[in-house]
Amino acid sequence: MSSIQRNTYGAPRNLRAVNFICDAPAAQSVTLVGDFNQWNPHSHPLLLQPGGGWLIRLELKHGHHRYAFLVDGALTLDPRAMGITRNDEGQRVSLVPVS
Amino acid sequence: MHRMKSTVAGKRTASQSRGASAKTTHGLTHPVIIYPFRQPDNYEDLQQLYALIETLAGNNEIYARPITVMDRKTHQACARDKRFMDFRNNTVARCSDILDAWCVDTCQMWYSALGMAHERGGANDVYWVIPGDFNYGSALGHEVLSRLHDLPEICVELEQDVCIGEIAADLNNPKHLIDTYGTFALLYIWFPQEARGIREYTERPRSEFFAMRHGFLGEMLNRRWFAYEQTVVTLLHAIFDKKHISRFFVGHVSDLPEGRESVASAMAQVERTERVLKTLWRERHQGTAGWIEQYRALDAQSEQVRRTAFTILQNLLS
Repeated sequence: MSSIQRNTYGAPRNLRAVNFICDAPAAQSVTLVGDFNQWNPHSHPLLLQPGGGWLIRLELKHGHHRYAFLVDGALTLDPRAMGITRNDEGQRVSLVPVS
Repeated sequence: MHRMKSTVAGKRTASQSRGASAKTTHGLTHPVIIYPFRQPDNYEDLQQLYALIETLAGNNEIYARPITVMDRKTHQACARDKRFMDFRNNTVARCSDILDAWCVDTCQMWYSALGMAHERGGANDVYWVIPGDFNYGSALGHEVLSRLHDLPEICVELEQDVCIGEIAADLNNPKHLIDTYGTFALLYIWFPQEARGIREYTERPRSEFFAMRHGFLGEMLNRRWFAYEQTVVTLLHAIFDKKHISRFFVGHVSDLPEGRESVASAMAQVERTERVLKTLWRERHQGTAGWIEQYRALDAQSEQVRRTAFTILQNLLS
């Protein structure tokens, strides 16, 4: 589902819920980092699901977002990602489009 | 006329298209369409493609006037074909400027059209190559058309110098086989470090889907431009010069009507790649001491790789 907000200039700013799933059954912790949380390693922990997958559902605005998982602290690409790029530190990270 | 889904870029407002992490003032995106060399039996794929182009042409806040480059040989061969001329005059010309050019091969069509677009563009602009000879009329092709706009948008929003579009192909697809046993094998001989860098982004170093920023395109236009395999050269220069590279998955689409490619065509593609890599290597090393001996050693290894690639491709594609 998506919701719509308005920015200062009145143009629509779409928010869309995106599921991030990380398959890491042996991990002790998985968090999501990206442009949308200033790569904060603590702000978006994923929850362990039955079967060993980790999940977080996040509302993101329209556009392309860089992100990665921190699996027990190690930066990890999302194998399901639509694209690959680098973050400001030059590390390879994943890309998600939100339309 | 088929209309695109509302998710297509041309339907978006300028503010929406600027996306998640925009940091700079944006210029225009220049769509550059590479018209197919051979005319199809039916125009469904091209009609779908030009429905998208018409949408882009109608959104001049985001897009510059699209450019379609057409080989003069195509035009001359089809000049008496009413269907072709109707399509050229009534569809292609309505939503894009047609650049007629004599071209050795596809990459020269890119050169002519990207050069023309670059002359029209400005410092913040992005250039978006859209190959015309894919099966956009299929259900999967529709999905691809709805995703292609991501390539220039990634360049704009994430300030990337080049964004490569990657199409899906199974492991036995001829393109995949050529890249695995030919392109990458040869790259690992001539430019091993850069090859590793390229493979961190893409398995399709010869992709015909890409977008580039004005500055990087200007640098590339002023270097030697190859009539073949220019994407490999572009990626190598992007790695040499530490440019910002992204890769984006555009979906399942094919330019092979029968799903196969001839052994002769596959061999020609491997030979062309080798020729380009040799030329580029010489350009970068011919000023250094002992380069001729090093070149001969690499050339011998390259020949072994090429012969092995021929054997494998012959076994798998015959």
